[in-house]
Amino acid sequence: MRRLAGQIGAWAAGIAVALIFLAPLEWTVLGSFRAEAVIFQTGLHSWLPPENWTFAHYAAAWRRAGLGPALLVSLAQVAVIAGVGLVVNAPAAYAFARLSFRGRDTLFAVIVMLIILPVEVLAVPMFFTVRDLGLTGGLGPAFTGLTVPFVAKAFNIYFLRQHFLALPVQLEEAAVLDGAGIWTQFWCVALPSITPALATVVLLDLLTHWGDFLWPLLISTRDSTRTVQISLADLFTQPPVRWGDILACAVLATLPVAALFRWFQRYVVATETQAGIK
Amino acid sequence: MTAWQKSFSRRAPLLLLPALGLLAVFVVWPLARAAYWSFTSADLLAPERARWIGWDNYSDLLGDPRFRQAFGNTAIFALLIVPIQTAAAFLLALWINRPEPAWRWLRTVFFLPTIVAMPVLAVVWTVLYQPAEGTEMGLVNAALGLAGLAPRAWLRDPHLALPAIAAMSVWQGVGLQMMVFLAGLQGIPREQLEAARMDGAGPLQRVFHVILPGLRNTVIFVVTVTTILAFRLFVQPYLMTRGGPGNRTLSLVQSIYETTFLNQDLGRACAEALLFLGWVALLTWLQRTAAREERA
Repeated sequence: MRRLAGQIGAWAAGIAVALIFLAPLEWTVLGSFRAEAVIFQTGLHSWLPPENWTFAHYAAAWRRAGLGPALLVSLAQVAVIAGVGLVVNAPAAYAFARLSFRGRDTLFAVIVMLIILPVEVLAVPMFFTVRDLGLTGGLGPAFTGLTVPFVAKAFNIYFLRQHFLALPVQLEEAAVLDGAGIWTQFWCVALPSITPALATVVLLDLLTHWGDFLWPLLISTRDSTRTVQISLADLFTQPPVRWGDILACAVLATLPVAALFRWFQRYVVATETQAGIK
Repeated sequence: MTAWQKSFSRRAPLLLLPALGLLAVFVVWPLARAAYWSFTSADLLAPERARWIGWDNYSDLLGDPRFRQAFGNTAIFALLIVPIQTAAAFLLALWINRPEPAWRWLRTVFFLPTIVAMPVLAVVWTVLYQPAEGTEMGLVNAALGLAGLAPRAWLRDPHLALPAIAAMSVWQGVGLQMMVFLAGLQGIPREQLEAARMDGAGPLQRVFHVILPGLRNTVIFVVTVTTILAFRLFVQPYLMTRGGPGNRTLSLVQSIYETTFLNQDLGRACAEALLFLGWVALLTWLQRTAAREERA
């Protein structure tokens, strides 16, 4: 009996804490469906689903914030950074893990040092580099300026190298005996063996760059390359302030990345989170 | 190094070139330029006409009340965030580290805010922190009202704005650090805990004598990462308070941004950025040193 009571107590505590923790998100989602006049209503109403559901805020937010194009830009942005990033970073990581060349250890030490470099430090001088390269005007160049600076990433190279190193070398030896060249070796043997690590890197890139703010703020001055976050911020700061539209826009700016996260999560092994510690 | 590795090594430049080339152009080159500009009077509109002025930017900054306030604000933010978030993440991890698979859902709950982008959360929390106007108020004030507490103008009060931003940031970030602690807890052998229990160690003793020592490097890692993330503070105050009221939430990064684009003083902004980088490097070095001691 006492054991059962303890179980029920633990469950009740768990549910209570979860509800308090999620209240801000729940209130936001429900609020986006309420009429503007009752969003800030206090009392029990503010915790319950709205009596009259309205989708007007979603239509208004979509139109006012230009969410259609903005979502496309953001999705393309994270796809390019994560996808091209993999193609660029994984071979370098493999070279550092398995090949020998002059200056390897020095170069790798430099990569490790670059990991701690916060993007906030680089944003301003990087802005000039991107401008000097002519990556500000026009849709194509501006989109390149938004993405390409973040494709090569020191942390990803470091992280993938650790995983390549952990692979048993016999696997690759067997492939060599079968006559595999370096590309077969890399694409067909080494890469598929570290799928969870690849998924982790892609997921981190997705989450990080979906939330990018400072860099798009600096360079996405024209409408054609405005990201979702910048659109939301504009809707939030430029009058007239309509709270319902802002909440709806916040929900729409989150759904795609939440869906992507849900889909990628299955490839990520929980122990990955520990890899950075050692 | 085996024979195949030697023969493949001739291809190494091909594998390295894309990544190293991009890093050189977009990371190393801008960094080198920033370092050079920080010793010049470079102007935003005409950086090529920079004049060498030695350490002037740096010495000016150290005496500049605005920069000192930005550093102070960011340091206070870090001092609020780091202990609270680390302790909360550790306690949550201890609490939900249960064998029944049903408890996994709580992990998802605490992790949820970390997948929502920070600009979105900054906007949402501005709405939640809305002060009372007539009978209307944001969720935070409404919840306090249920507990019989008076509503406050969270983001407009010079004393409350930074703590309010810190509270929201803890809520956002605690789930990620909890996951790191959970992974660390898996590494503590069950036998050790069992042995401590057999020896009559209570729950508190087990935490302090078995679990925490076992998680030493995890704690150091979490504290360092949280500190560095805290010093990178920008989005929340930029969107929630614009650095106000009265510069009380002006962050280091916003200060760099404004020195560049409002004052158009590129040289000085680069000096700010490099001081910031030096500080982050120092924090990282401290973590490495602290984590190494144990292994020695």
